[in-house]
Amino acid sequence: MGRYPWIPPPDIPVPSLDLIAGNATLMPPAAMSAASLRRDSDRETRFMKVLIVGAGEVGYHLAQRLSEENHDVVLIDSNPERVEFAAQQLDVITLLGNGASLPVLEEGGVREAAMLLAVTSLDEVNLVACLAAKRLDVGLTVARISNPEYYQRGSVLSREHMGIDLMINPERECAWETFQLLQSAAATDVAQFAGGRVQLIGLRVKDGAPVAGRSLLELAERYTDKHYVTAAIVRNDVTRIPRGHDRIEAGDLLYVLAPTSEIVGIPPLAGYERFHLKRVMIAGGSSEGEYLAELLEQHHVECTILDHDRRRCVELADRLPRSLVLHADATDLELLEMEGVSGIDGYVSATGHDETNLLSSLLAKSVGAKKVVSLIHKFEYLHLVPRVGIDASVSPRMSTVNAILRYVRRGRVMTVASLMGIHAEAIEFRVDEGSRIAGKTLRDVHFPKDGIVGSIIRNDEIIIPRGDDEILPGDEVIVFALPGAIPEVEKLFD
Amino acid sequence: MVGLFQVFVGLAMLIPVVVSLLYREGDAGALFLASLTTLVAGGALYLPTRFNGEITTREGFAIVTMAWAATANFGALPYLFTGVLSSPAAAVFEAMSGFTTTGATVFADIESLSHGILFWRSLTHWLGGMGIIVLVIAVLPYLGVGGMQLFRAEVPGPTPERLRPRITQTAKLLWFVYVGLTAAQTLLYVAGGMGLFDAVNHSFATLATGGFSTKNASMAGFDSRYIHYVTIVFMYLAGVNFSLHYRAATGRMVYLRDQEWRLYTYVILIAAGLLAVVNFASGGYAPGVAGVEGAVRDALFQSVSITTTTGFVSADYEMWIPGSQMILFALFFVGGMAGSTGGGIKVLRVLLLLKQTGNEIRKHLHPRAILLTRVGTRAIREDVMANIIGFVILYLLLCLAGALVMGFLGMDPLTALAASMASLGNVGPGFGDVGATDNYGWMSDPALVVLSFLMLVGRLEIYTVLLLFHPETWKARRSFH
Repeated sequence: MGRYPWIPPPDIPVPSLDLIAGNATLMPPAAMSAASLRRDSDRETRFMKVLIVGAGEVGYHLAQRLSEENHDVVLIDSNPERVEFAAQQLDVITLLGNGASLPVLEEGGVREAAMLLAVTSLDEVNLVACLAAKRLDVGLTVARISNPEYYQRGSVLSREHMGIDLMINPERECAWETFQLLQSAAATDVAQFAGGRVQLIGLRVKDGAPVAGRSLLELAERYTDKHYVTAAIVRNDVTRIPRGHDRIEAGDLLYVLAPTSEIVGIPPLAGYERFHLKRVMIAGGSSEGEYLAELLEQHHVECTILDHDRRRCVELADRLPRSLVLHADATDLELLEMEGVSGIDGYVSATGHDETNLLSSLLAKSVGAKKVVSLIHKFEYLHLVPRVGIDASVSPRMSTVNAILRYVRRGRVMTVASLMGIHAEAIEFRVDEGSRIAGKTLRDVHFPKDGIVGSIIRNDEIIIPRGDDEILPGDEVIVFALPGAIPEVEKLFD
Repeated sequence: MVGLFQVFVGLAMLIPVVVSLLYREGDAGALFLASLTTLVAGGALYLPTRFNGEITTREGFAIVTMAWAATANFGALPYLFTGVLSSPAAAVFEAMSGFTTTGATVFADIESLSHGILFWRSLTHWLGGMGIIVLVIAVLPYLGVGGMQLFRAEVPGPTPERLRPRITQTAKLLWFVYVGLTAAQTLLYVAGGMGLFDAVNHSFATLATGGFSTKNASMAGFDSRYIHYVTIVFMYLAGVNFSLHYRAATGRMVYLRDQEWRLYTYVILIAAGLLAVVNFASGGYAPGVAGVEGAVRDALFQSVSITTTTGFVSADYEMWIPGSQMILFALFFVGGMAGSTGGGIKVLRVLLLLKQTGNEIRKHLHPRAILLTRVGTRAIREDVMANIIGFVILYLLLCLAGALVMGFLGMDPLTALAASMASLGNVGPGFGDVGATDNYGWMSDPALVVLSFLMLVGRLEIYTVLLLFHPETWKARRSFH
């Protein structure tokens, strides 16, 4: 099995940028819950019993999100302080004990549980917990696994042998997100749909941009060759789903959906230079850094990676034949400048220390790196990132939370992207035979005013819809909607 | 162990006896005597020291060197017993040149020799080639000589770390390829109208990258395009790592993925291209060969012959303009691929040196960069790299030292350098008085002894032999290993 990309089980979409894409960082509980709650209750949603092993940051946030969606969550950890903290902050049942032990799992009600998420920082504990749960017929098990030897094909513990439904590698998820962010210098947010074939990006319109001051109808006449949907406009913190006569102004934050193959043509319309990722520097030879460098090599991006540990450098040089490996410090500005950090397309600080990463990112930004992404482990630091002028941040733990949620929520709703800069959600639906909307044209269904159909994916075709387009069973439909319109939208797809 | 080898050599000597009898020549008795002597001596050496247990690294060096040296000495007996050579030094030189697949000869008139002796000369090549394949692919990697440890992972066959079972397995597989190619070449020769005796002899000499011919004019003695092209192809194949052949034979075309193979092929093609253009344009071309095709063929033939260190000659390259001769001169140092029967520095080492040099330059642009030298996807460890650089330096030093000795023995500088270079690289013909149409017969005994030694050193990847001259090798070793 190739080391990258991590291939998800066939029934879930390729990892997409979820909550923390771009500047979106900490998700206040309220932002998500309103929509999710309603969505769950409107459907004949099964409230599930979910066991979460590990109450670290990943476990805590998973517990938070799932409990907000009205699932019964049992959080198990062997650290009394963490258990105590979670018990105070969250509406979940907490249990002190070893999550890999059968009696503890049984006490937590593993026999009734629909799902077990093992997300401690120890691979082996996670594996054992999942194996135990599988024995007890828990429907869905997810393990957080950092060591590739455990999930590679041919491993004794691999998915097909052990029946663990999903193994998530936080570092790899994180590298993937970073890669997505790097590819578009202008985007504040990036989310993917339909297995990566459709992208949603957030863009701030610049002064003098070609689209500024024009209405959507004018734009549609002018750019007949471009396929995109302006899904939302955020102006003065108010999010609106635009209609044909609405005008775009400089300073607006636009959310645009387009086929991935055409997404590069969008930022120039908002006044950005065409961006092509050619050169990236990674400061820090962490696992995330290494995975990212691998990805960049695969996409023929020139990559420089540096680390302060010589032995690690030799290891990296061995594994990354096409990258330049430097034995240097992430905050050695003189060296960074000598290696051409000013004007570099992408700079990623990926050491194991948040403080070093922040400082290193700031240095790179100050000498003119175009897109700077910082790896941040501590959730408390995440909100600092946009304030100090670093373009984006990624967090392996947050990536894990998102990846697990994406997997857990799958079903008719395929991907939910909650975006930080905007009070709206992008949802990917699959149309069933019985869906109310099936077989009708968009004009006939009276789509809610605060919602918009962004794209229809039919077989391998991506359709940017107009009023007379029909929706057929089997289609995948990406809907962009304000929270108030979501229940109405969901009814259409029932 | 060494005795055992001599028993095999003695048995091999029976083949020329048979050849001699078939051709009803008078030297069968003398050849048989040589065989008998070798068998008795080998048996006497072998029987009291029945081999048991594992071979240590140190013993490995000693066995390899001594076996080769002893083989050359016993291999000289047929020349002495039949009286074609009277000087023991010359006889040993001829045998050493055979077993190390060098192809330098002391005979001025080859065509006057009996079939039995001619066959013995070719057979020494062929047996030497067999020995080399096993040596470079199965033995030397474990002794860690001159970067040969790179081959540890590449050898087909089972993977135990122990030396003996591995050698047996590997040897069988690779000899199969070797014998197969020899048979194929012989058939193609015969199909092209060459006599069976000449075909077998030349096939032996080609696959071993030796260069002994049965004609005074070497390959130029066959006025056939077909035969020249067949020879070019098989010389080329003999210069390729035999484990690549083996893997290709088992269905995996690994040639293109092998960086060493690519460089080997590029070097030959570029050199041949240059030679063809220069020779044709300069007009000063050897008479008797016509037009563009002749220029291309001779250019290809000579560049393959020298690069693989075979040493066959299809045209007197000393008649070429100096520029062309210098191209061949440069090829003397490249050699065949590591793991082939070719000699010289070996393409692999040249490749790594070039890469290392590139890295040194790159290092000036990025002073803090960690740059690894790699072949394919494999990074070369620094100690192995140092070993290889050491090898190349030793090689050049020995070449110079040999030339120095030759100079003191009265040769002109060009001949001295060429003789030293051609012997150390196991090529055969050189320049000056040892050029394409010359031989080594005029040399004094001391010169022949020194050149024989250089052949052995070059063949056994230098370190193997030189180690025996290091005092520590002979100190008492630990009681366990």
